Amino acid sequence: MEIQDMPQTSITASSMLKDDKFGNNGVEMAVPGSEEEIADILHKANENGKKIAIISGGTKRGYGGLKNDYDILLSLAQYKGVVEHTAGDMTVTVRPGTTIKELQDFLREFDQMASIDPAWPEQATIGGVIAANESGPKRMKYGSARDLVIGLRVAYPDGTVIRTGGKVVKNVAGYDMNKLFIGSMGTLGVITEVTMKLRPVPKCESLVKLFVSKEQLEDLKTFVVQIQDSMIEPASLELVNPALSKKLFNRDVYTLLVAFEDVENSVRYQEKWIEDNKLSGMDMDVSSQTEAQAFWNAFSKVSPNSLTDDEVNSTRAVIKIGSKNLDVFEWLAEAETLQTKNMTIKMHGGLGHGITNAICTGNESEVKQAIERIRSRAEDRKGYAIVKHLPYALRHEIDVWGKKPAYFFLFEGIKKKNDPNNTLNHKRFAGGI
Amino acid sequence: MFRSKRKRQTRKDVHVAQLEAIVGPTEILYEREDLLSYDCDGFTVHKAMPKAVVFPKNTEEVAAIVRYCSVHNLPFLARGAGTGLSGGAIPLNGEVIISLGKMRNLLSVDYENRQAVVQPGFVNLKLTNSISNKGYYYAPDPSSQYVCTIGGNVAENAGGAHCLKYGVTTNHILGLEVVLPNGEIIEISEDGIPDSPGYDLMGLLTGSEGTLGIVTKITVRILKNPQGKQTVLAYFDNVEDGSRAVSGIISAGIVPAALEMMDKTAIEGVEAGAYPVGHPDDIEALLLIEVDGIIAGIDEQIDEILTVCKSRNVREVKVAESEEERGKWWANRKTGFGAMGAISPDYLVQDGVIPRSKLPEVLRRIKEISEESGLRIANIFHAGDGNLHPLILFDSRVPGETEKALEAGTACLKACADVGGSITGEHGVGIEKKEEMRFIFTDEELEAQTRIREVFNPDDLLNKGKLFPTPSRCMDVKKVIKDTVAVK
Repeated sequence: MEIQDMPQTSITASSMLKDDKFGNNGVEMAVPGSEEEIADILHKANENGKKIAIISGGTKRGYGGLKNDYDILLSLAQYKGVVEHTAGDMTVTVRPGTTIKELQDFLREFDQMASIDPAWPEQATIGGVIAANESGPKRMKYGSARDLVIGLRVAYPDGTVIRTGGKVVKNVAGYDMNKLFIGSMGTLGVITEVTMKLRPVPKCESLVKLFVSKEQLEDLKTFVVQIQDSMIEPASLELVNPALSKKLFNRDVYTLLVAFEDVENSVRYQEKWIEDNKLSGMDMDVSSQTEAQAFWNAFSKVSPNSLTDDEVNSTRAVIKIGSKNLDVFEWLAEAETLQTKNMTIKMHGGLGHGITNAICTGNESEVKQAIERIRSRAEDRKGYAIVKHLPYALRHEIDVWGKKPAYFFLFEGIKKKNDPNNTLNHKRFAGGI
Repeated sequence: MFRSKRKRQTRKDVHVAQLEAIVGPTEILYEREDLLSYDCDGFTVHKAMPKAVVFPKNTEEVAAIVRYCSVHNLPFLARGAGTGLSGGAIPLNGEVIISLGKMRNLLSVDYENRQAVVQPGFVNLKLTNSISNKGYYYAPDPSSQYVCTIGGNVAENAGGAHCLKYGVTTNHILGLEVVLPNGEIIEISEDGIPDSPGYDLMGLLTGSEGTLGIVTKITVRILKNPQGKQTVLAYFDNVEDGSRAVSGIISAGIVPAALEMMDKTAIEGVEAGAYPVGHPDDIEALLLIEVDGIIAGIDEQIDEILTVCKSRNVREVKVAESEEERGKWWANRKTGFGAMGAISPDYLVQDGVIPRSKLPEVLRRIKEISEESGLRIANIFHAGDGNLHPLILFDSRVPGETEKALEAGTACLKACADVGGSITGEHGVGIEKKEEMRFIFTDEELEAQTRIREVFNPDDLLNKGKLFPTPSRCMDVKKVIKDTVAVK
């Protein structure tokens, strides 16, 4: 299939260089247009002891990193487009600078989709989403990047380009090298091509919202356990705290977002199941198809990113908390005790996958304090709290990745074997890798 | 195991005595006749004797054994039920085999958070059986699930008939406790919490064929049973029509739970096997298609599947009328490999993967390979995800036929690689497909993988000689040139 040229994103590369609120900038910028150029830039930098930061959409500059400037800012924003799509195989190969929206729009023509719903689809690119292992509420049904990516092309710092995985949906030949790069924050190589398995666009979509008063939170937990123990198959069970519900629905209550994506009869049956089984006092609202899609689009923008966060009077932080599925309830309850009059916490978490996002906004010292408290409680529960959006200056005060695991030496070993000169995204990742 | 201790001690070497001190006298085998059944796994073409087989009871014993081997430079490997089909558990270097068969407990089930914790020797199907009374199951279902262990499934990243919709082992593993090749015990994603910060070691370990570490505890995702399930059986007069029906079903936007195909020779085998269904003997291909999910939504998908099959000249298509009938169809399919024994003294199973759209082309090529080699090839495969299992039928008593079968297997894999596919979808590389790795990976790509092995397993004592081809001369030469240039 011929290569599809896609429109450029509205964020021009030069505007990135002017602002230094989030660091991860470059003294020079390189905007390669081919894999060969990418490999060549890497090779030369690696030979000459230069440090490279990788960027494409520019939404994740607030995600890790202890350097304001690298020698070279390697922008993949122009390296975009679909390389290959075979509808019958339900796989697509795409360049890293393609935004999630561009990819989904392209696939929609074929009634197919990449089943991943990260934040900011208009700005976030597939390369960045995979490098940072970003996911959204529907991960519950569809999994995350590690479940969808079947192949990559990667340029190593020495300029070698390798292919990992393949273009088939099932493959156990050799190590599963795709996993090495997913979530590695660009510290091992530059992803130059991504191959993913696709799914058909569901024939019917709906979103059931359950509004539940603060007093009824325990009842909601009972109901969620009942849902999980039933045979209905929600695509999301995302719990939203009152601060975020207020913003989204103008209601100061907890909201449970239950998505259904299937054939129509199945969706209608499941909506009715919720209606019939919900506990008294729970207020239910159903939106279908385009309305549901519009909601999820709005929902994908609830967290600030480094392109949109121009707040000067207060500090914003986004924390990704990992816990057991049902502990999401405890996290949302905890947000109530952590909030102060100078600092709000908007929170939502997936009861089917255990990932919670906390958006803290307010006074700098109170935001810092909230991060530390969340971190310490998360680690006590054998989970973690990663600060995935934080201004550069604060990243020197707070370790955004949390404590190092006992097996950190393996991370160091992997980095050393693949990027011995620390050429790529140095100090961007866990433990200062 | 039942011989007198005195007799054993006279034959024991110093390492065996030390290993025995770790696990106790009843938990070690070292006499030749006891070791014979450990000289191969499900890949029986190659055999080699281990030094000893030890049966640790817990993680600490595994770690102690590994530490001992590591310090004394003894090669070692882990083994589950030994059902692997690519020779991953064969002791090529006279390894100490660490059998995990006695670490076979279900440690805990947390229904509310949908996870279970098992020891590596726990049998795959036992997990589903242990939780089915509450309506839950464990999704990966390799055909050997009634005997293979979850530890082995992790090592091989095992698949199964239902992974088209539900994914393979790696998609269901939430946490691992691992003994590293130096004996250190690490716990990754304790409590099964996803996305733990740092590189995805769990993803790397899963499918690493026991070359990076020994898994001693596994947290897996469990799923609620689907509300309903319907299974369709379709008979075709030619393979092309069957293949086109597969594409038709997928393009209709249906995600079947399973989509299996068998060709004429395979049908002859399964009908002669232990679970005959009564398939007509003159059809060229059959499809077994399963849809599951919310009952209210299944009928329309089944109708659509029937329409697709009819538009592809199906001879006969039927929906299972009872759970019993469905079970019969599946037993016939799942015992398909073994059933080949009824029509051939020996068989070799291959495991290539292709993009679905290349199915007719590759099946034609496999037919040619069969004609060229003079050996019959039966095809049983997961058509939905393009995972082919050509079964090459041969007679090892006929001189030269084993070699011919191996060659035909390699040719089948080449055919898959040539259309952009892979040499293995679920059986692993082991020793069987080491050299065929070159069909799909360049020297640089292989080196990128061995670099990872060096991080975990720097002395290469753990399961040495598996997974990667012997380094090519060309690569060695390149390295020498590179070094020379660097010196200059």
